[in-house]
Amino acid sequence: MSEPMLTVRDLVIEFDTQAGRRRVVDGVSFSVQPGEVLGILGESGSGKTLSTLAVLGLIPGRPGVVSGEIELTLDGVRHKLLETLPAVVTRSAQGEYRKDDRRWGRMVNRQMRPLWGRAMTAVFQNPKQSLDPLMTIGAQLDESVRLAHPELARPDVRARSLDWLSRVKLHNPPRVHASYAHELSGGMCQRAMIAIALAREPRLLVADEPTTGLDTTVRQEIVELFHELLAAERRAMMYISHDIREVLFLAREVIVMRAGKIVEVATADDLRTGTGVRHPYTRTLLQAADLPVGEAA
Amino acid sequence: MGKFARLGFWLSGLIVLAVIALGCIAPLVPYEPADAVSYDDALVSPSLAHLMGTDEQGRDIAIRLVKGTEAFFLPGLMAAAISIVLGGLTGALTGYATGFFRTAVLGALQLLDTLPRLVFIILVCTIRDPSVMLIAFVAGILFIPTVATVIRRKVESLASEDYILAHIAHGFSPVRVLLHHILWLQCWPILVRQAAFVFGYVLFVETGLSYLGDYGVQEPTPSWGNMVAQVRSLPSDAPWPWLIPAAAIVLTISGFLAFGNLAARRGEEAVR
Repeated sequence: MSEPMLTVRDLVIEFDTQAGRRRVVDGVSFSVQPGEVLGILGESGSGKTLSTLAVLGLIPGRPGVVSGEIELTLDGVRHKLLETLPAVVTRSAQGEYRKDDRRWGRMVNRQMRPLWGRAMTAVFQNPKQSLDPLMTIGAQLDESVRLAHPELARPDVRARSLDWLSRVKLHNPPRVHASYAHELSGGMCQRAMIAIALAREPRLLVADEPTTGLDTTVRQEIVELFHELLAAERRAMMYISHDIREVLFLAREVIVMRAGKIVEVATADDLRTGTGVRHPYTRTLLQAADLPVGEAA
Repeated sequence: MGKFARLGFWLSGLIVLAVIALGCIAPLVPYEPADAVSYDDALVSPSLAHLMGTDEQGRDIAIRLVKGTEAFFLPGLMAAAISIVLGGLTGALTGYATGFFRTAVLGALQLLDTLPRLVFIILVCTIRDPSVMLIAFVAGILFIPTVATVIRRKVESLASEDYILAHIAHGFSPVRVLLHHILWLQCWPILVRQAAFVFGYVLFVETGLSYLGDYGVQEPTPSWGNMVAQVRSLPSDAPWPWLIPAAAIVLTISGFLAFGNLAARRGEEAVR
């Protein structure tokens, strides 16, 4: 196996709540191989979304990410995303973390700015809220295309945008290009969102529960779209979902998270066929989806 | 938006358009205040020859009313521009920035906000050559904190929106996101409201100071304010020389305020 493009080691994320400091991601480690889809499975609050937002550098301070390593390898260049973290986190004698939020924010911005979009970008849940309500789909898509290809002239940018809209299987691309998010259905918005994210040509796409809130039939179409545009073209992706069937369909390797920890790492093939020893939580998930549950631990 | 509000929007819009039209035409109207004096025609009632009548010196009030817009039109635009451009930028910046810079700018804005506006304007007029442009410049600066505060609140509330997060993840330029997506697309109704308010404020201060005399527009150059000032020497059976400019002041200020508010409301409804 080649060198992974993304490696996360011992990631710890904490947040202050009224009940005190809570550890929401607890020592999570995983890696994504180039051209592979990693599926992250887990219920709401299992820390799966936070782990991936941490990879994108989109978690604000207070205290947020407190320790761990994230390494991104692009064209042989290694970017250590949390390298500056120890400089802003100090630990008191009682073992309590303190973090300098503002320095952290500045450092993350400086480090992530050249990586956002070019190295990785995201498709979030709530497609309607993820699109600018006051800009047409086309204006946002054009911006994405322009950033990926600054050399293109105006008509070429538009042509490429329209091409992307047809690639995500939106009918009548010129009409969608001129539409606002509120004029489209949730499924159409998510297709547009996928077009905008992919037009940016990221090496790694993070899809954070992209089918949540969509109709069942639309969900399936969106998953198939991801399969066609990413899995089949061997682009790297992290696909986060609470739906085991979606994850098994898309991913080669799957991690299962619960209460901030990874409880299971397995290949999708093993999960599908019921090979190997399974964590009880994974067994529940498999059972709920009418799949062979594997052996109990 | 109800029927009443819509009617108000169109009526106030008409007033705003009329004032803008007058402000643009006024510099083209040839007018020499000294030549206009004709004591034979003093205090003629409104008629076909003099649509709004004449004043004590026999000068046509309609022409003086049109010429009087010159006193506040450009200064008002300048003050509105200063306050929304500088206020908008500082607002966006303080909504986005963190740390010492933000604290320092917010402190400076607060300090500026504590100055009593009219008193400060009069104070500046006593130490420098008074002119309406100077008054407008100071007024524009004094309204920066007001604009900056509303814009900052808007930027802060938008910062956590999903689509702003998505824009950042796609690597869209943060300056563009801030200026175009937030300031321009989301905040224009606020800016329209503030601009109309500042314009109205400049008219209010200009006419007020011109009425009082020392720091405003001096006779014989016409200003709506010094036209109203004639009330002090006019016989009570000839009210038009002061009544007409006074009505113009009231209509224009309330028209601008109403238009600013109603246009912003329409904009905010469309934005949502």
